[in-house]
Amino acid sequence: MTVNSQVLMYIVSEESFSDKAVIIKEGSIGDWVYVILEGRVKIKKQTSGGLLTVDTLSEGDFVGEMAMLKQGNSTRTVSAVADGPVVLGLLDSVRLAQEWEAQPTRIKKVISNLIQNLEEVTKKAADMIIASK
Amino acid sequence: MTKNKEKIPPVVKLNYSKGDLIIKAGDYGKSIYEIISGKVGIFVESGGAETRVAILGPGMIVGEMAFISGNTGTRSASARALEDCWLEVWHPAILLNDYKKMPDVLRLIAGQALKIIVRMNKMVVELSLKQGKHKDRQTQKLSDQWADKRKLYRKMVSLKCVFRPANSPEELKIRGIIRDVSMGGLRITVDRLGFRNYIPIPGDELFVSTYFESNQKVNMTGKVVWLKKGGTDGTISLGMAFTQMDPDDRKSLGFFLMT
Repeated sequence: MTVNSQVLMYIVSEESFSDKAVIIKEGSIGDWVYVILEGRVKIKKQTSGGLLTVDTLSEGDFVGEMAMLKQGNSTRTVSAVADGPVVLGLLDSVRLAQEWEAQPTRIKKVISNLIQNLEEVTKKAADMIIASK
Repeated sequence: MTKNKEKIPPVVKLNYSKGDLIIKAGDYGKSIYEIISGKVGIFVESGGAETRVAILGPGMIVGEMAFISGNTGTRSASARALEDCWLEVWHPAILLNDYKKMPDVLRLIAGQALKIIVRMNKMVVELSLKQGKHKDRQTQKLSDQWADKRKLYRKMVSLKCVFRPANSPEELKIRGIIRDVSMGGLRITVDRLGFRNYIPIPGDELFVSTYFESNQKVNMTGKVVWLKKGGTDGTISLGMAFTQMDPDDRKSLGFFLMT
């Protein structure tokens, strides 16, 4: 997948990460969002059986969007780790936040809910992976 | 004649009873529901079994995935009322204009979230089906009990019965035929059409009613310990271990087995 041209316009800086570098740490606070320009990123979740990979994202995918769009706090609920060398574009968080806040209530509710579902199914998937080991 | 075709339909509130199906997977529909009160379970079906992937409560949204996916609008999961619920229904037209006006980047982010949810749901269902083969400990124990007790006298019969999941509304009736019965449990066959609305999985508790004599109704509650697909006709057999029976019903069963 290539990066959408509209998304490119939000990029304020590029950051490179080497293999296995931690891009986002579960439990930390932050709501900035990246788009993957090159490479792959593993999404990991802490479980009773250790750190577990639940998904792998690639070029054009967003990383860190969950903390920005959910209601309430902006604690990271998953870790993002470079899978090989990665180049990320950091999106303009002020512009994103303003545009998000300007959305009608029902739209915000629907998308926040979607993000919450994503969070829950991620947790469930991690639990199931551990249980199946 | 009204020419208000573009008029956005009003928001309506609907009441659902425990066990009611709110959304059926595969159906067309893009309405979005907000839970006002009660709890709703989200179920994904795969390989003939339903797996619950989420429980949603007041303030949460149901049915947004078909809206966001846009194109076909078929429901990817079923939603069922786990208790009596009030839901507010939003016609998709209420949201569509706003959604279209949203900056591309936000829409792309929502699209990615949707894609990952679908992927993860699939993974959860696959894993739970795999684990279903290793029964949970309680079901395993019941299964052993069932095998033990069934070593006792087992009577071959052909008795019409109706059954339903123990926690479902009474209106739900599945018809089957009891093929054999003992003090420990029974075996029922159901033709495939009988399972249009509900497919049991091992561990499910069922409530079964039948008549041993023409006027003697007997109720039995038990857990499903195994399921087997029959021959080419699609008949499904299920074995059930009793978990609960009224003393009178137990007595009736005892007499029935002796005669």
